[in-house]
Amino acid sequence: MVAVSQDWPVAELDPVRRMRVVAASTPGVGYAEKLIPAPFDAVWDTASDLERELPRLLTDVRSFEITSARGERMTARARGWLGQRARFDVVLRPGWCVMQSRFLIGGMAAAPEGDGTRFAFLGGLRLPGLRLIDPLLRPPAGALALRPIRRLEDRLRVR
Amino acid sequence: MTGPPPIDPALVRAAQRGDRIAVADLMDALTPYVGRVCGPIALQDGPDAAQEALIAILKNLGGLREPGAIYGWARAIAVREAVRVARQAARAVPAELADVPAPGDPQLAADVRDVLARLTPEHRAVLVLRDLEGMDEQAAGALLNVPAATVRSRLFRARRSFRKAWSP
Repeated sequence: MVAVSQDWPVAELDPVRRMRVVAASTPGVGYAEKLIPAPFDAVWDTASDLERELPRLLTDVRSFEITSARGERMTARARGWLGQRARFDVVLRPGWCVMQSRFLIGGMAAAPEGDGTRFAFLGGLRLPGLRLIDPLLRPPAGALALRPIRRLEDRLRVR
Repeated sequence: MTGPPPIDPALVRAAQRGDRIAVADLMDALTPYVGRVCGPIALQDGPDAAQEALIAILKNLGGLREPGAIYGWARAIAVREAVRVARQAARAVPAELADVPAPGDPQLAADVRDVLARLTPEHRAVLVLRDLEGMDEQAAGALLNVPAATVRSRLFRARRSFRKAWSP
């Protein structure tokens, strides 16, 4: 027997790769990623400040309020400019954030890459039947997912 | 070696129902195991293989009838994806072991990588299933879609490679 299992190579996935997995296995979502020329801590300090930054990154969100938190799990209340409200379950930890309401899913991930940070954004609807039109939705939704990343870059220049 | 930690069947069912937080939690729970299966088969393409394997696992989660069987089910997908990704990368070197690492080399982990790199992805898959996962030849053959005799010959060759590398 070859008794060296502790020395065998193990493949590891950083948060951005994990977000790619969530994106590819979730019908109807938009996904984009970009290399941001800023250190991980600066990028994630901004992106993870959900109450302050989400309304700036997502133009249809007026406010995002954390209503309870236990470790990395939280609940939040989002309000839109047209008065719509949604309760979100959120998981937030360094380099990783996923959130979902009854009808929406969102996610952000970040991982150091060279001198910069690879940042991923995911957003979309949770509706039955989206799997059927998934190939149609992906390209336009992907373009939409790039916008919050560009806004984050703008925010990083300001902060 | 100890097996992977058990996964709550309720988490699997929640993910099957479309709860995306549960899907992410399930991915976190499966990632170390999938990484252990994909790493020795796909080597430097291990992260790509693990990523592709997890996508296939989560996309097809609806087809898993028994949540308690998730590791065995995920293992089959991970092995196939790892072999596929490694073959695509065209880095397979089915050569004889020409220059093997010296026995007793302190860089044992590097040696394992070196020996694995000289095997084809299929040989590495057999080694992982038998020696890391403890499957018998019949089960390993069924998973890889090859006869048990083929598993035996691949295993013989793979182990001979290791023995050559480490025997004085």
